[in-house]
Amino acid sequence: MYSDLLHALPDVFALTNFAAVIIGVIAGIVVGAMPGLSATMAISVLVPFTFGLEPLVALGLMAGIYNGAMYGGAIPAVLLRIPGTPAAVATTFDGYPMAQKGEGGFALQVAVVSSAFGGIASAFALMLLAPPLSKVTLLFGPSEVFWVAVFGLASIIFLLGGNPVKGLISACFGVFVSVIGSDPIYGNDRFTFGQLEMLDGINIVILLVGLYALPPVIDLLETPLKTGGVSSSKLGTESLWKALPRMKGFWKTWLRGSFLGIWIGILPGAGGSMAAFMSYNEARRTSKNPEEWGEGEPEGVAAAEVANNADTASALIPALTLGIPGTAVAAVMLGGLLVHGLQPGPMLFRDNPDIVFGFMWQFLFGAILLIILGGSLATNSFARLLNLPRPLLGSVIIVLMLIGVYSIHGRMFDVYLMLGFGAVGWVMDRLKFPLPPVVLGLILGGFAEENLRLALRIGRGDPMVLFQNTTSLILVALTVAVIIGPSLKKRFIDSRKAD
Amino acid sequence: MPESRKSRLTRPETLTALGILLVAAGFLIPTSELRPISALLPAAMLIGLIVLAVLLLLADQRKAAAGEEAKPVTQSPKRVVGAFLLIVSYALATDFIGFYVSTAVTIPLVAWLFGYRNPLGLLVATVIVVGTIWAIFDFGMSQDFPTGRFWGR
Amino acid sequence: MLNIFKKTAIAGAMILSAGAAMADYPEKPIEVIVGYSAGGGTDVMARTAAPFIEKYLGDGASLVVKNMPGASGQIGVTEAANADPDGYTLGTFNLPGMMARTIDREADYDRDSFTYLANVVNDPNVIVTSKDSGLDTLDKLIAEAKENPFAVTVGMSSLGGDDHFALIKLQNLTETEFTIVPFKGSAPARTALLGGHVAMGILNISEVAEFQDQLNVLGVATKERSPFAPELATFQEQGLDLVNGSMRGFIAPKGLPEDVQAKLIDAFSQLSSDQEFLDAMAATANPVEVVTGEDFKQLTSDLYDLAKGVWETTPWN
Repeated sequence: MYSDLLHALPDVFALTNFAAVIIGVIAGIVVGAMPGLSATMAISVLVPFTFGLEPLVALGLMAGIYNGAMYGGAIPAVLLRIPGTPAAVATTFDGYPMAQKGEGGFALQVAVVSSAFGGIASAFALMLLAPPLSKVTLLFGPSEVFWVAVFGLASIIFLLGGNPVKGLISACFGVFVSVIGSDPIYGNDRFTFGQLEMLDGINIVILLVGLYALPPVIDLLETPLKTGGVSSSKLGTESLWKALPRMKGFWKTWLRGSFLGIWIGILPGAGGSMAAFMSYNEARRTSKNPEEWGEGEPEGVAAAEVANNADTASALIPALTLGIPGTAVAAVMLGGLLVHGLQPGPMLFRDNPDIVFGFMWQFLFGAILLIILGGSLATNSFARLLNLPRPLLGSVIIVLMLIGVYSIHGRMFDVYLMLGFGAVGWVMDRLKFPLPPVVLGLILGGFAEENLRLALRIGRGDPMVLFQNTTSLILVALTVAVIIGPSLKKRFIDSRKAD
Repeated sequence: MPESRKSRLTRPETLTALGILLVAAGFLIPTSELRPISALLPAAMLIGLIVLAVLLLLADQRKAAAGEEAKPVTQSPKRVVGAFLLIVSYALATDFIGFYVSTAVTIPLVAWLFGYRNPLGLLVATVIVVGTIWAIFDFGMSQDFPTGRFWGR
Repeated sequence: MLNIFKKTAIAGAMILSAGAAMADYPEKPIEVIVGYSAGGGTDVMARTAAPFIEKYLGDGASLVVKNMPGASGQIGVTEAANADPDGYTLGTFNLPGMMARTIDREADYDRDSFTYLANVVNDPNVIVTSKDSGLDTLDKLIAEAKENPFAVTVGMSSLGGDDHFALIKLQNLTETEFTIVPFKGSAPARTALLGGHVAMGILNISEVAEFQDQLNVLGVATKERSPFAPELATFQEQGLDLVNGSMRGFIAPKGLPEDVQAKLIDAFSQLSSDQEFLDAMAATANPVEVVTGEDFKQLTSDLYDLAKGVWETTPWN
């Protein structure tokens, strides 16, 4: 197998194939950085064109876009508090406060280095460990996946913000939105009101653009008189060489975030946003100064960005070996593979080694290229966009939002839906309802329900099926620890103080 | 001086809580028609929302009783409503008149209305944005944007 | 009254469009509406077939695939059913799904809304069991199901699809009962089988071909051995009259001008003897079985009756 890996390398360096990765990374950063446009949308727009391309050119483009977009999403997340992709929601927590403190440049450098680290770790996992890791995926049947979802939902506790009632309202809202569409088992519709467009559920991008991009646009237009830019002169950019030493304390966060990202990537369904949330929570929990998180702690940006890139290549492990994509983007890429006659399964690695392993190398190079292309390109040119007069910036973002949402399925219905969520989002934003629980609730709510009900069917209605094996029990224990851990720790510290 | 009864009810959080209550209760009607296992999660969430909205309402009214002034949601409601209406009309225009025409009008219109009135800047920005979108999506990726229902197909 | 009006309108439309579409069809690009996203099985079929159809239509014909995903294909097929019947809008068609949707949901089309061009893909169902279930022959499986009704869990993709109908046929033929576990799609069902979380699965032959070593394939629901995997035995060879599969083809709105219809059907019927096309389809896991015109219509009608019968005795939602 490892000789196959080396054998595939020369093809990767063929001019067109390598150029495809470079173009992909640049395109990905641009797409990710545009509020409203996401990696899923970019790759699904691309798939029909890959019919006419050489496999490694097509796959190189996709690998590049995926890596680039996962980092690109951080740019508006830091500068405008608009996550460019769903996975960049956790990047806003500390990235935006950093930008407000005049450290936006450093935040973006942390993001690019962390993204590249996560991407490289993930690519190595894909290249070296794909077959054994796909066995791990097999351990997770419906009941185990249900517990993974519950574990993810439990982390909402850390995202509730200052007012738990409002936080829980956000979470309930998100979970409720996740059940809209056809019932996961019977297929009858729930709350679609006869709209075929809603049968497949509410796409996360529609909700995200509405909730996260519309309120800032209104803000841009609301403030009267101030027609200047959003202040990028205070970006505080310095060269990457000077910035790197400040990141040397992040290696633990990077390793942990990579591990979490890779692990969540190989589980079907949840994907980059959950990886980023969990990595952020874990890093904060183990931090020496958790109270400074959310106020502009660079390590928070590192934790979120390393994890959302660490699930890129690993999400392809179950996609390539089992045909089940780990993320929405991997699902679209699977379509791109099928177009070239690459059918997922154990035979894939034997039948088309040069293409499959070449694709893996492209993931690795995509991640490495991120540092070169992402660093200078992003910090300088994108930040300059923010010098645009505020009303103009606002109107351009409106156009991008419409394009991004329309292109998901090519229909205006989604745009109207997005505007509806936008109105809700604006009220939530103004009344300080936290938005992250909505996103996590939407991603994990329906996912948890579907797997719970599948598990119950397998157990023929007996709930004990949920506790029947070690994997489930470990996940239950972890969930309990996440929920009661912080309060136990607090009580422990308090009792010591009292002594 | 305690607030009047009316202003106590028009506090933004109170209104929001009432809104959540109404909408969640409204959704309970279609929920009741589902088979029990399908209805379980949505019903749990709706009831959760109702309970939480009541808590929010009580907390806000308690604040009102304590004489705490509610912060207005926006300083300039006209601009907010105007901005929102413009965005909605842009979506409608895209749907009915077509994407490129609406976009070419909306970019300068929004920017101009909200205070950026440099004609050259507006022209350049519009041309760049519309041109780039056309070059990438239409020319490069043959993506079709709405051409306008109004004109037929 | 309304019916008469409808009929006149349709007749009128036919005359009009026939006049317009005559002779030089096709004069402009033909749009093919695919009800799924780019890269899905149906999309790949449409895009793989498109250049060959262009070749057989001749005169520089061009087919443009347009994806209208949503509601498991229903949005796209509704759009195709309601398009102008001038031969410039075609659509893809999935069986039994498209017919089942007219039964279990409200649909703005029925089996008479289409001009049936050709079914191109027939992906037969297979019954597989997980390695650790121990049920490695059809007889063992049926014996176990008879002995312990509902004890065998069956992973498959959603209710009201081809997998589900295959299971219902199996249950009726063998007088057994299984516990259905409907996953969202075949790949997750197959993964649950590989991991031993369900005992048995009903999938399609293209979906198990790559996994033959990891699963027990008990049989194929075809009349003759599938050229896609000729080493696998059919159920009929094993004394079980189970024939079922997932079909994908092309339709046009009803009322297509006759000459256009003839030209299109002629082009589609040439696909089955085009080796280059067959190779391209095999590479993308699409077992080909071309059925054109009236036969395709009859096939659809039969499947509708089957689904309707099942729905009346055991509705699935």
